[in-house]
Amino acid sequence: MMSTIYDLIIIGGGPAGITAGIYSARKKLKTLLLTKDFMGQTGKTNEIDNYLGFPNISGLDLMKKFEEHLKKFSIEIKKEKVIKIEKKEQDFVVKTEQKQEFLAKTIIIATGRDPRPLEVEGEKEFIGKGVSYCSICDAPFFRDKAVAVIGGGNSGLGAALDLTRYAKRIFIFEKSEKLLADEILQEQVKKESKIEIHLNTEIKKIEGNKKVQDLIYQDSKTKKNYQVPMDGVFIQIGSVPATGFLKGLVEFNRSDEIKHDFENCATSCPGIFTAGDVDDGKWKQIIVAAGEGAIAALSAYEYLQKTNRDS
Amino acid sequence: MSKNKVYSTSHCPYCVTLKEFLKERNIEFEDIDVGQDEKMAQEMIEKTGQMGVPVIEIDGEFVIGFDKAKIVKLLNIND
Repeated sequence: MMSTIYDLIIIGGGPAGITAGIYSARKKLKTLLLTKDFMGQTGKTNEIDNYLGFPNISGLDLMKKFEEHLKKFSIEIKKEKVIKIEKKEQDFVVKTEQKQEFLAKTIIIATGRDPRPLEVEGEKEFIGKGVSYCSICDAPFFRDKAVAVIGGGNSGLGAALDLTRYAKRIFIFEKSEKLLADEILQEQVKKESKIEIHLNTEIKKIEGNKKVQDLIYQDSKTKKNYQVPMDGVFIQIGSVPATGFLKGLVEFNRSDEIKHDFENCATSCPGIFTAGDVDDGKWKQIIVAAGEGAIAALSAYEYLQKTNRDS
Repeated sequence: MSKNKVYSTSHCPYCVTLKEFLKERNIEFEDIDVGQDEKMAQEMIEKTGQMGVPVIEIDGEFVIGFDKAKIVKLLNIND
């Protein structure tokens, strides 16, 4: 089955993986891109106004453009989810959920991040029954309802704004003493009369019967608990790197992000490179991810040449 | 042939991924935008208890989310 050896296997179909694909195609590397979809976190973002050339575009449309751009190049793509990578002499065996195995000389990890769970009672139980991690997907189910958004960062405030089209009341709960979102979003939110902000709050429990009915939170200063009727809870407290399949192969920082050198996007394992939100770069931005995708692909190319494995 | 139904909203990336998956395999389906159609949204909630998309109905059976393994099995197709 594994008769083909790829020069490069790219794992991930977000901005980082797609850019890496374009650069490796230009270098004529025998490349395979493995991804479960071409969406990533960008696809879930309603409005993007900080990527060059697109002053105002939805995340979904931007990802479509990226995907179309990639497909102009000759590159092999398989929609499969990677579950494990093993080292085999100087090559790597990539195993997927579909029970396929692929062999490569170099790897780029660009798997991005998954939503961080809140880890309170009731959260898992009510997923799809009031609890959601995707406001632009599920907002229409909360017409004239009261909803909570957990998290006062960019994604939290973005979600609250998405919800204003449908919900009657929106409550933002933030753990710290101030909102962390960009000022431009904070200004928009403060103009919305439907939105109410609760700082210094900790969510304790989500309650309901067949669906969410109440939210219990604590005022972190007074330590007093409050129970408020709520139809929906949108959890937007950041994300965790999607690195589960990599354990033991590369080094991570304390947040489970892949350690990488900023010059070459190289990991601690020679031949494995990384790009985008999955690595320990500080700023998680589409344009940064795309830039790192280019660096990783060019570095993989250089690595193949230096190790005389470029044919 | 029985009709498959996909309940989705226009901005939902998982819905787009699911619909593309079906199109790539020439699986016919009725596309119901529950973001626009409040009546169908209500019907979906009543039938499934679910307030999130995508939901796909195959032969009267509901699958929540883009659960590829389940969908492949119900449609009796290769992944």
